[in-house]
Amino acid sequence: MRDAGEQWPSDAELLRRHVAGDVQAFGELFRRHRDRLWAVALRTSCDPEEAADALQDAMVSAFRRAADFRGESAVTTWLYRIVVNAALDRLRRRAARPALSAGDEQAFEALAGSAGDPAHTTDIRLDVDAALRVLPPQQRAALVVVDMLGFSVADAAVILDISPGTVKSRCARARVRLLPHVSHLRGNRSASESVSPAQGGDT
Amino acid sequence: MRGQTTHLDTDVLAEFHAGLATGRRGARIAAHLAGCDRCRALHDELAGVSALLAAVPAQAMPGRVAQRLDTALAAEVARRNDSERARSDSPRHRGTVGQPARNRGWRLVSLRVLAPAAAVVLAAAGYGLSQLSHGSSTLASPSSGVFGAARQANSASAAALTPGSGAAPRAEPERMGPDSFPFLTSHTNFMPGTLKQQVEAALRAAESARATQAAPTAVIACVRNVAGSGTPLMVESARYQDQAATIIVMRTSKGEVALVAGAGCSASHSKPLATTTVP
Repeated sequence: MRDAGEQWPSDAELLRRHVAGDVQAFGELFRRHRDRLWAVALRTSCDPEEAADALQDAMVSAFRRAADFRGESAVTTWLYRIVVNAALDRLRRRAARPALSAGDEQAFEALAGSAGDPAHTTDIRLDVDAALRVLPPQQRAALVVVDMLGFSVADAAVILDISPGTVKSRCARARVRLLPHVSHLRGNRSASESVSPAQGGDT
Repeated sequence: MRGQTTHLDTDVLAEFHAGLATGRRGARIAAHLAGCDRCRALHDELAGVSALLAAVPAQAMPGRVAQRLDTALAAEVARRNDSERARSDSPRHRGTVGQPARNRGWRLVSLRVLAPAAAVVLAAAGYGLSQLSHGSSTLASPSSGVFGAARQANSASAAALTPGSGAAPRAEPERMGPDSFPFLTSHTNFMPGTLKQQVEAALRAAESARATQAAPTAVIACVRNVAGSGTPLMVESARYQDQAATIIVMRTSKGEVALVAGAGCSASHSKPLATTTVP
């Protein structure tokens, strides 16, 4: 009746079917990745409403431009690229209202809330989301794609449309900038207290 | 300044951690780290930022966002089908001049939703993004899927249910209203392994019999839910795996698609038990 390929078609196959006129294929493809696409939109935008707008822009754009996909990268890479672009575009358009930056430490503290308390899982997520706001959008996008979503530098370069070297330097600068805002989440308060990487991950 | 006693800058350590310091510079930094607890701790802190970020679980897409995207996607699907319809308009379609264009567009949607490629989706769970979230705890609304949203987006045209011409009009669907389709009851017990053959046989029987009954209201409601404004080739009240079931056969561009709807199929609930295609 149906073979395995039809039961669980690949992303590329779904995209091909969509281009061929299958009305279900794009929805299935998008649904398959939607939570991670949402995560990248939300974390790049730092605002649920902006993220929803950006994701909708991206979805419509991918729907219409699917025929342009040439298979040079994975379908997910292509999708993430469109989502990140949409989120950054929206941030640029509302540039009159800049993201938190230097001088906004107090606002950050208010957002971060319980800086001195032991962090629980939800708190960690809220704190990290708040901390990400201190980053410039481009650095934030790089860090989200590499550190949070786990893409390789090479894939991140395609997603962000920058060179691998730029991916690395944006991530490096972002980590330095983020460090004072998240070190309390790892249970160590200063650089002089030695902590091994193994301990760092599970607090 | 570069002696081993000079501690490394955070930026330098971050570049090293990111793989930007290579060659002799990288070797020098690595050598310093090996002998300096303070710089190693700072380097580990930077590495810890990455580890922390990687450990933060991603939030599932909120239900309201999923619903909104469903609606936007359905609108895109309808828009694309409208433009495809405009492109494929040909003299044989002129018999339906009185029909609103949007209605025909939607009818294409409803037919193509049932295309073989979609069979797995239909059989699996339901229709929409909202319903088919794999393991994420989002709100599921039975009517908010791609299918339901498309219908909402097309409510104006769906309200005027007039027959349209399908992609390959062979059984003169133009003469048939949406609630008028070949309907019969039988004692056939359709089984998963032989569904395709049984549907083929049922179609042949229906074609030769040509005697159709009026379908019960419940069956009509189920058919409307499954088929949208499309006209089934055949609807048969029978059994599937020894349970009461309705077999609905639709024509698509890729052949006939049969859906098996369970006893609970109604205007608001239609989860096909099985689907098959008949080439």
